[in-house]
Amino acid sequence: MPNVTYIAPDGTLFDVELRIGQSLMEGATRNGIPGILAECGGACMCATCHIYVERGGDWLSPITEAENEMLNESAAERRVNSRLGCQIRMVEGLDGLVVRIADNH
Amino acid sequence: MTDVPVSDVDLYCDGVLSDPYPTYRALRDAGPVVWLERLQMFVVARYKEVKEALATPSVFISGNGVMMNQAMNDTLKGIVLCSDGAEHSAMRRVIMKPVTPGALRAMQENIYSQAEWLVDRLVSKETFDAATDLAQYLPVTIVSNLVGLPEEGREKMLEWAAANFNCFGALNDRAVSSFDTLKEMVSYALTQCVRGKLKPGSWAEMLHDAADRGDIPQEKASLMALDYMGPSLDTTIFATSNAIWLFATNPDQWDLVRENPSLIPSAINEVLRLESPIQGFSRFAVKEHNFDDLTVPAASRVVVLYASGNRDERKWDAPERFDVRRPGVGEHLGFGHGEHACIGMNLARMEITSLLAALAKRVTRFRLGESKRTLNNTLRGFERLEVTVN
Repeated sequence: MPNVTYIAPDGTLFDVELRIGQSLMEGATRNGIPGILAECGGACMCATCHIYVERGGDWLSPITEAENEMLNESAAERRVNSRLGCQIRMVEGLDGLVVRIADNH
Repeated sequence: MTDVPVSDVDLYCDGVLSDPYPTYRALRDAGPVVWLERLQMFVVARYKEVKEALATPSVFISGNGVMMNQAMNDTLKGIVLCSDGAEHSAMRRVIMKPVTPGALRAMQENIYSQAEWLVDRLVSKETFDAATDLAQYLPVTIVSNLVGLPEEGREKMLEWAAANFNCFGALNDRAVSSFDTLKEMVSYALTQCVRGKLKPGSWAEMLHDAADRGDIPQEKASLMALDYMGPSLDTTIFATSNAIWLFATNPDQWDLVRENPSLIPSAINEVLRLESPIQGFSRFAVKEHNFDDLTVPAASRVVVLYASGNRDERKWDAPERFDVRRPGVGEHLGFGHGEHACIGMNLARMEITSLLAALAKRVTRFRLGESKRTLNNTLRGFERLEVTVN
């Protein structure tokens, strides 16, 4: 199972293994990692699972129009490496991915 | 091939509407999909299958309607709720513009200050009706104004919405007696939700701007006002009354929220899971589909029971317990799931959050007085919910 490192807003590191097909958002909420609010449950509608991809994103799926629009709505600053955790599904190639959780409050 | 289990339950009779949960459990236990003899439709009642149906729009379409009777599916043809694919995406993008997280930030201060004012006033009265005095205020004063109907239409929105959701069920007396009111709402949308009659800058007028830009077809602009008129009031109102009822009957959970208001978003999800304001819609299968080893043939209608999936023992630990700290509660299906997930969810959350936050500062206990559930073919909530607070 691919390994992902989440950097919480306070700097704490969480190393977790995610199932293939699981979303980055689910990986965070299932493992009790703070900062990913995921209010809409993964419908790409609330922008509260905003993350910054720090390393290892070669196999990321491209941003869809819906995700792009929702990233513009986020309370947190949008950067070039901004993504929504609910829209990223784990594949083997993402093993070693490092993401920083945006200030979603 | 295994035979699909059959049930002769009437999902829309008074007894089941008053307490649907034993029926839902029986349907879940019967199998992954069940044939409803009375409705002549299939039903999925387990979490996994509810989610699967909602997440597979290539099989389970909305364009033939999402209600449980053909008359209603014909009447509401073409609204966002009852459309598919690229046409649906284009309409959805337009209609959700005023209720995206960014757009709502501009409204937040107004909603929060009105909630503070209202709760202050109600708490000083000590006894009030949470189903009306508390739950109706924000939807009726703020949301109905933003939708922007002419005054006589705005006054009727609550009556229309209740009729609308009664007509979603089986064609029982409740639905049939609501049909004229529903038709009045549809004809109002088509004749009055037009340029010149709508409040300038309102959501309904914005639909016409979108049609002028070519984002949606011109003929949809008035019709789509129904997507604001139907679901923007009652659903949030019932969610609010359900929340107060659950906190009144589970005071330990209210203590947790009072001590830690950051639990409110999760508590709202738990309310929507346990007492879902919208109990279910349907989908039309355009292709054959298997749920485990049971086959739903093409050209069948499938009732999709969100409220049952939300209590599925196969998915949730102690599903009947109200737990504001429940892990993974965000996966509930109270707002639906997939392409048609509730467009207004962010607004609904903001309204309910503002009320609970204001109450958490002032109220230690809700004591229940007289209460009466609404019997509606789709919605679950209270007509009357008297509470005394201290």
